[in-house]
Amino acid sequence: MANLKEIKRKIGSVKNTQKTTNAMKLVSSAKLKRTEELAKRSRVYAAKLTELIEEIAQKMQQSNAEGIDNIYFKDIPNPKKVDIVFITADKGLCGGFNSQTIKRVRQHITDYKAQDVKVRLRAVGRKGIDFFKFNNLELTDEIIGLSAAPDFKQAAEFISEVAASYVNGETDKIILIHNGYVNMITQEIKEDHVLPVDTSKLELSSVSTSELEVEPDDDDTLLDALVKRYIEYTMYYSLIDSLAAEHSARMQAMDAATTNAKEMVKELNVKYNKARQEAITTELIEIISGMESMK
Amino acid sequence: MELMKLEIVTPNGVIFDAEVKQVTLPGSEGEFGVLANHSTLVSLLDTGVIVIEKTDGSEVAVAINSGYVKVDEEKTTCIVDGAVALSGDDSDLAKALEEAKTLLKSTEASNTAIAAAVSKVEHIGKSL
Repeated sequence: MANLKEIKRKIGSVKNTQKTTNAMKLVSSAKLKRTEELAKRSRVYAAKLTELIEEIAQKMQQSNAEGIDNIYFKDIPNPKKVDIVFITADKGLCGGFNSQTIKRVRQHITDYKAQDVKVRLRAVGRKGIDFFKFNNLELTDEIIGLSAAPDFKQAAEFISEVAASYVNGETDKIILIHNGYVNMITQEIKEDHVLPVDTSKLELSSVSTSELEVEPDDDDTLLDALVKRYIEYTMYYSLIDSLAAEHSARMQAMDAATTNAKEMVKELNVKYNKARQEAITTELIEIISGMESMK
Repeated sequence: MELMKLEIVTPNGVIFDAEVKQVTLPGSEGEFGVLANHSTLVSLLDTGVIVIEKTDGSEVAVAINSGYVKVDEEKTTCIVDGAVALSGDDSDLAKALEEAKTLLKSTEASNTAIAAAVSKVEHIGKSL
């Protein structure tokens, strides 16, 4: 019975796949836990740093009627050149995680092209790089391995280069796009305007009224150091956030795959039993009719 | 004596969050002390040691490599890159001292600044 054998083989292979997906799910959930912990701890730091920088920006705005003239804060109304930094995973098998990010990036490219803005792409993560390479779109910068294992030093080096091109006027705006972690079952695309520092959404409840003293007292030393730190940390935090989202997305995808495999095994089993019964019935009929003819 | 809130945040989380009497910080323009009702100030922090005087009068030292501090009337927030608290039992302390020294030496600050901070750490180690 070739058919029976085939079904049996198929059942075995689906069961194997199920084992693999289940194992991947477990690995992802363990990794997610670790990454989540890391994200939780660094979130406080990121929040404090942002708070500090916003407060300084606000004070500067108050003291200077024409707005802020520091290069990092200067808002360029019609940017001519935009750098998009985007983070994808190095690995696949995580549902729509990577394609969502890529979709958003492409949408930005189309939007900016319509406004006649030059866009440069800087990719972090193999999946994004592969996609744009395959579609013959130029990448200014690419880095593999950083999104799978965020390292502060490496992240800082990478983003500093980007920031340097902003300072020397090569680009007017830097956007960071990544797929962020919301909870175990939800991911959300997040966009950060890295530079210029976004001062439009400043809202501070308790601002002390006394004048702000700054040490060292030429404004720029402190602000430059702070902004540099802020950018580096934004990048690092986005990487962690993206990694957590990647793991949660993979967990979900693998969970769905395991369920589907289970379903498939069930269906195949029914099919197998039917085929077996059919074979037995045919055999019986053959025997009986053989006996009948011998009478 | 009036108290103020002190918070020390590192990339690995909040390591100190409590009411204190006084705190001495290694500012980039020189060491300075902060009491309650200090006027608003933002400063760079250099490699060095933060000395905290707690409500019960005891002192805690925290070695840091670099960071920022934001002071206002009610609250002092230190945002530092790396920190090691120098406290605990003898065995813990010895370990913490070693860690603190490695941390201090790993920074890009000038040699004199590191040497000063290390000697301070050693001094604290002896006095505890």
